[in-house]
Amino acid sequence: MYYLLNKLFYHPTHHNTYAVKMEGTDTGGNTYLIRPNYHHKFKAAVVKECIHDILREQLSGVQYDPDEVGVLSRSLADCIKDKLKDVGFDRYKLVVQVVIGEQRGEGVKMAARCFWDADTDSYAQDIFMNFVLCGGCFRQLFLLRTKEDGKILQ
Amino acid sequence: RYCCSPATITVLHAFVFVSCQTAFVVDEVSTIIKESVEGAIGGNAYQHSRVNQWTTNVVEQSLSQLSKLGKPFKYIVTCVIMQKNGAGLQTASSCFWDNTTDGSCTVRWENKSMYCIVSVFGLAI
Repeated sequence: MYYLLNKLFYHPTHHNTYAVKMEGTDTGGNTYLIRPNYHHKFKAAVVKECIHDILREQLSGVQYDPDEVGVLSRSLADCIKDKLKDVGFDRYKLVVQVVIGEQRGEGVKMAARCFWDADTDSYAQDIFMNFVLCGGCFRQLFLLRTKEDGKILQ
Repeated sequence: RYCCSPATITVLHAFVFVSCQTAFVVDEVSTIIKESVEGAIGGNAYQHSRVNQWTTNVVEQSLSQLSKLGKPFKYIVTCVIMQKNGAGLQTASSCFWDNTTDGSCTVRWENKSMYCIVSVFGLAI
């Protein structure tokens, strides 16, 4: 938004003013970024790949067991969240949801809607299905941008 | 390295003040969700052809009611509708957020032929 404003006010005769504004960090101008740069934006493809690897690694050959599934789903969610913290989406909040269902021929439908900032926030999802044994698993990961953060505190 | 002007500090203080007053209230959200689910699928039996429309209705109705609360939150609403036939289903979530301001709420609803599980995640701006 900051850059857009600059563009609106940009005029050839005010070239000098424009240049000063761009370098205004030491004049006490706005240094707090409320939007990520292109490089720091959430990349859905990278995250989907991450999720896919973890799912394949932890769920291959696993059967649905009602006693174990609680622990399994929680550990999967934590595992994915920790892996993504390392990938390094700076200043993003993460929500990871894992749903594990048993395949018995029943019908299942899952829907999601989000009320967020479409420019910065996004989601990635992956589905793992175990055909040999009984068990199917869907997971979704949402990433949101946090607006208050430690950039000021540094 | 990053200069923090007095104007910015004032804004930060205002933010903290506001966030103390608007936290994620689980009971309020839970009530909204229950009403949305009742309104969308209450009294219906599971039908494969209609379940698509039902999940959409539940989620959109919940989200519009939540946004009407007018709180400075981003919301994520997910809904799972499953036919009852003896199979098991487990949902888990793990969140990297601010514990003081953010929260989640899960509502389980059922009737004779289906289960409906709605999860709401609220993240303060």
